[in-house]
Amino acid sequence: MHIMEGFLPLEWCIAWWVLALPFLGWGFFRLRRVLDADREALPLLGVTGAFIFILSSLKLPSVTGSSSHPTGTGLSSICFGPGITSVVCLVVLLFQSLFLAHGGLSVLGANIISMGVVGPMAGYLVYRALRDSRVNVYMTVFLVCAVADICTYVTTSLELALAYPAAVGGVATSLGVFLGIFAVTQVPLAIVEGIVLALVFKYIIQLKPEILFRLRIFPERAITEARGGA
Amino acid sequence: MMLRRYRLEVIALFAIVAFIGLFLLTTSFAPDAEFAGADTAGSAQVAALTGRSAEEFTPLVPQWEPPSGEIESALFALQAAGGGLVAGYIFGRWKGEAKKG
Repeated sequence: MHIMEGFLPLEWCIAWWVLALPFLGWGFFRLRRVLDADREALPLLGVTGAFIFILSSLKLPSVTGSSSHPTGTGLSSICFGPGITSVVCLVVLLFQSLFLAHGGLSVLGANIISMGVVGPMAGYLVYRALRDSRVNVYMTVFLVCAVADICTYVTTSLELALAYPAAVGGVATSLGVFLGIFAVTQVPLAIVEGIVLALVFKYIIQLKPEILFRLRIFPERAITEARGGA
Repeated sequence: MMLRRYRLEVIALFAIVAFIGLFLLTTSFAPDAEFAGADTAGSAQVAALTGRSAEEFTPLVPQWEPPSGEIESALFALQAAGGGLVAGYIFGRWKGEAKKG
């Protein structure tokens, strides 16, 4: 989902940075609040953050003949919300900008918006909609993670389309082209990511259900039910 | 009973096998596919839309690049390993705590 360094005009770099900064500020604020309130949240933050590190390092081949990587942001978004997730993404994207030449400092704002803000936010909306419903916990986690993943790449496409509208057809045509590259490639990856993270969530439920109760991530009934089955 | 207990594991296994199968299918139908990054494909598209060559897009902020593909994959592996280490440590700790009761 990276936009590569130099591939976004300066004015767009600044615009996305300006948009990203308040989210990061909110994220840092939330992070302090959560950790001050409950030190036991730290290991859970570690696990959800670790999977962002792992999954976003895997470049996987897809049906379009190009490769892309999952984002892993869904779990973190469920457990801690999109604000804190954007801070974790800042760390990952900074690492990749500085050491891997994936993304870059000028386009970091745009990449944070796609991977750290819009994706997790979309996932979070799915989570809020399904949290108290009868939908199975694992199905919810799957949907959240897949949606967060896809929406990240849709946002990347939109960012590029806005900066580079096609001569004929403008932004809409450009968007179609970039979606064809980023979003289509991402569909199988998003599905696998959703399933894998649902499995990770199963192990969290089995090993540390207390923390999920305490942070009120899912209703106790849903967690207890999930511990029994699947 | 076993299958019910490990239902998610089985689904994940199938998904991964299907993913690999899809990859093999893609390679057989499109033998020329290079599987370069979608980032690269996106950048090439930007170049095509603007009518400039991809080399003209120089970094706005100077950037260090891994000197070779090997070093790049080493650093990617390092990123994954770091994540794996943290996740493994915490899961292990939780498991230990659960055992102690």
